[in-house]
Amino acid sequence: MSEITLSGLEKRYGDTLAVEDVSVTIDDGELLCLLGPSGSGKSTTLRMLAGLETPTDGEIHIGDEDVTDRPAYERTTATVFQDWALFPHKTVLENVAFGLKMQGTGKDERRERAKEMLERVRMGEYADDDPMNLSGGQKQRVALARALAVNPDVLLLDEPLSNLDKRLSEDMQIELREIHEELEETFVHVTHDQDEAFTLADRIGIMADGSLVQVGEPNEVYENPKNRFIEAFLGDTNFVAGEVERTTAESVHVETELGREVVLPRTGDADDADALTEGESVALSLRPEVLSIEPADAATSDGESDRTQPVRTDGDTTNAVVGTVENVLYRGSTIRYSVAVEDTSVFVERTVADSGAFDAGDEIRISWDGADVLAFRDDGSRVDL
Amino acid sequence: MHREQFENALFRAGYLAILVFMLLPLAVVVVTSFAESGNLAFPPESYSLVHYRAFFEQTRWLSAFDNSLLVGVGTTIVATTLGVTAAFGHEIDDGRAGQVLAPLVLVPLLIPPIILGISMRVYFVRAGLEASYLSIVLAHTLWATPLVYFVMRSVFSRFDWQLLDAAKDLGAGPIRSFVYAVLPNVKHGIFVGALLAFIISLQEFVMALFLSSRSTETIPVVAWTQIRQSLDPMVSVVSTFLIVISLIAIVIATIATNLDWLSKQLS
Repeated sequence: MSEITLSGLEKRYGDTLAVEDVSVTIDDGELLCLLGPSGSGKSTTLRMLAGLETPTDGEIHIGDEDVTDRPAYERTTATVFQDWALFPHKTVLENVAFGLKMQGTGKDERRERAKEMLERVRMGEYADDDPMNLSGGQKQRVALARALAVNPDVLLLDEPLSNLDKRLSEDMQIELREIHEELEETFVHVTHDQDEAFTLADRIGIMADGSLVQVGEPNEVYENPKNRFIEAFLGDTNFVAGEVERTTAESVHVETELGREVVLPRTGDADDADALTEGESVALSLRPEVLSIEPADAATSDGESDRTQPVRTDGDTTNAVVGTVENVLYRGSTIRYSVAVEDTSVFVERTVADSGAFDAGDEIRISWDGADVLAFRDDGSRVDL
Repeated sequence: MHREQFENALFRAGYLAILVFMLLPLAVVVVTSFAESGNLAFPPESYSLVHYRAFFEQTRWLSAFDNSLLVGVGTTIVATTLGVTAAFGHEIDDGRAGQVLAPLVLVPLLIPPIILGISMRVYFVRAGLEASYLSIVLAHTLWATPLVYFVMRSVFSRFDWQLLDAAKDLGAGPIRSFVYAVLPNVKHGIFVGALLAFIISLQEFVMALFLSSRSTETIPVVAWTQIRQSLDPMVSVVSTFLIVISLIAIVIATIATNLDWLSKQLS
């Protein structure tokens, strides 16, 4: 069993609190991604798991054992480091065999096992090479083989893909996923790249300012973020400031800087204590994927009027505004339009394949379903509607 | 010729002239060691190996050679151990102690050696180490350790400390992780530091003068007492030996530090 429990984990450097009260249970065989911007404490948390840092407070259990004060060399974890940390004075094979050598495995046996691990990561033919002559992707594979060779209970990955180019990184994500499924070992993977986290993770733990803000399955944290930080961090969005004008049993009406009242349906999740009060200021998150666009005067442009509209759960909660295209940004597969609406600006996206591109100066109509909009209070907390 | 090439050539010529001018006294020393007469004059009137024969007959010089070698090796071992471990410790734990350490180890280099020599003589007499090899080794260590320390600081600053983490992570304890992950990557630096310590000890004179007795005196001390009596070519003979030893050390250092590189080039 290699279930990991972190309870109240804290790390201080002098007056700086690097990690604060991190508690989470990682299931046996799970792949957990710790996701957060740099300086959020995710790497420090991983290093405490590896035993390379000693926590200032809190406990770490791996399986049934308390390993909090156990040094790295007595733990059943193995790490793939950000810069791979291959021993430059050893051959690729010696690198992979190093952990087994430390465990006291005989020379022939460890060479054989190291060869096996190298084959597994398709680096068998490089066994006698100098690791410094390998490419980034190859070094990454060797580092992975070296960590897996000691047959760890837990594999820790400290942003191992961040130094690879995009294509290679994406290939490695798929390979890591396959290796994880094959080994059924517990993986903890640290990254600042949300795409990487969404691709790899069984669950994502989002860290900010040393705290673990939310842990959940990828679609759960994306669709149901706990606060404004997570909503902003997981992909691009438009935050629109507004003030609650009135609330009814079915909906909340918010007067926004878009110059128009936005109607949000109530889901009934809110306790009375949490409910929004009139006059309270809120920020609404309008993700580009929930926004539909069409020419402002649909009649003048043939074929645009029958464009698919967003799913409407309730006619009352469809919202629309009209704005002027200010900027057109080509981003490969998508085109991003920056649209001036009243005093603010909103960006919307459509794929290149969509017909009817807009130009700067065009008037367009942006519409969305109020049910797809998330609202946040001034302190960043999410509003239950 | 382009202007840049001309300037480069001029610079090289100037540099070479200064180098030759500074190294010329060494040539004078070597040449005078082969003089036949008993006076130190340049150029000598006639050449012979008479002073070399005399050198090997004088037990005082030979025992001074032994003493210098013994003190040099002792200083090298103690100073290298202290300097390497101090720099390693500083790198691992960059706390308050480390911030104090760097300026503190510099202090012995800033105190005039004559003051150090006198005060240590007083101190070692009290400690019962008067005129012992150990007292000279400790005095030289005081000077050599800071130099090894600063060499190693610079070596360790270029070392990838993630390698140490990786070794520990793979099950190597404190000693094995140092031996397997750190040592192979900094051994050239350690060698250079050790060589520096040896040379410092070999040429140090003032402290050795105060701390040695007739039986523990080192080469510079004997040279000094000999010159005071008479300026004879024997001093040149000793100097020639010292020059040769230094050259051999440099050659060994060059070969040792580039051996890995060399073997890769040849394979």
